[in-house]
Amino acid sequence: MMPQDPTISREEALRLRHGSAADRSRLSALATGDAALAEELAGWDRQDAALQALYTPVADEPLPERLLETVRATRRAPVVGAGGTGWRIAAAVALIALGFVAGWGGARLVPSGAPPMLAQAAMASYATYAVEVTHPVEVGADDEAHLVQWLSKRLGAPIRPPDLASEGFTLIGGRLLPGDTAPAALLMYEDELGRRLALYITRSETAERELAFAEEPGRQAFWWVDDGLGCALSGDLPRETLRRLAVAAYHGLTEA
Amino acid sequence: MPFLDEIEAAIPGLRAYARALLRDREAADDLVQDTLETALARQGQWRGDGALRGWLARILLNRFRDGLRRRRPTAVLALVPDLSDLPAARKADDRLALAEVHAAMGQLPEDQRAALLLVALEGMSLAEAARALGCAEGTLASRLGRARATLRQLTERGPVSQRPGKAGE
Repeated sequence: MMPQDPTISREEALRLRHGSAADRSRLSALATGDAALAEELAGWDRQDAALQALYTPVADEPLPERLLETVRATRRAPVVGAGGTGWRIAAAVALIALGFVAGWGGARLVPSGAPPMLAQAAMASYATYAVEVTHPVEVGADDEAHLVQWLSKRLGAPIRPPDLASEGFTLIGGRLLPGDTAPAALLMYEDELGRRLALYITRSETAERELAFAEEPGRQAFWWVDDGLGCALSGDLPRETLRRLAVAAYHGLTEA
Repeated sequence: MPFLDEIEAAIPGLRAYARALLRDREAADDLVQDTLETALARQGQWRGDGALRGWLARILLNRFRDGLRRRRPTAVLALVPDLSDLPAARKADDRLALAEVHAAMGQLPEDQRAALLLVALEGMSLAEAARALGCAEGTLASRLGRARATLRQLTERGPVSQRPGKAGE
């Protein structure tokens, strides 16, 4: 073959690159005599490396329970066509003890610099899920017993969705999220105006922390660490309203 | 490996592909769940020849296209990739470059993104990817060519001497 063999078309190069091992070695051979092709191939390699670096870590994330349940439900009742809804039927016997506001002594604002991880995670979750029309939550409040049992099990701590009805917000459901070091629970609330609140809860080994404020454009959060749980309530509400809600959530979570 | 074990083992890969395709965690997991339910309901159709992932990819892409037809236009979220899981050793400019690639992927038409991810992320051959997409290999090759050229234009400042002539291909 002549070294200046006219370069193959890019489409043919793609066929070879994503072909058999023999195709690939043929392509390498072609590239040795074609600098432009070699440069193109190097660019494709960089693209593939970048795409793998970007997206393969997703495969290492903890699997959402609902996906595993889809398969497990079929294992339990291997009826063709029955997949997917079994988890809804999964017995859920946990009872919910709703918290009641009992007076708040310790709440006060703590000056905050850069939002800590906890508040950031809560605000990011709020920003991501509160705007969701069709899938704001993974398990709805109509299946609250299951929600509570599931989240408590995955967090390794009893999670009781606080009752924020006194502030006009009702639970619409929740979901499990990957947290910094352990899974996190996200409970979503909504009021009559359709405004939403995200209560983010995860295990925390750090020292107890009183109510603190953090904000980013378009969202704010009050966060605290108490009794091994780090919590943050995030939304886009007047600061005092959010603080009142955070106090209510604190009591609901800790004093139920 | 029993069928259900294989299905379960395929979930992480499906999630990665769906996340890259849809660029939204929830929507991606919905698509994976939809795919799993469809696959489980049709397990009688799985003949055990060829790679299960190809069969699953075909189902996923069909469900994806069904979803596209149904989907309402919704507010576009700020699709910032979560780069926090990258190895800490990666330098800031690597992260920036990856963020650029993620943003550029969002600019590709969905069929091109789906195609490129099959070969680049899933490591499928062109023939496997064409089967999963249900299109001719020639169609796929030109789709891939367009996807790679666009991605390159959007992300690479590249060696200046070699840039002209690439863009218009």
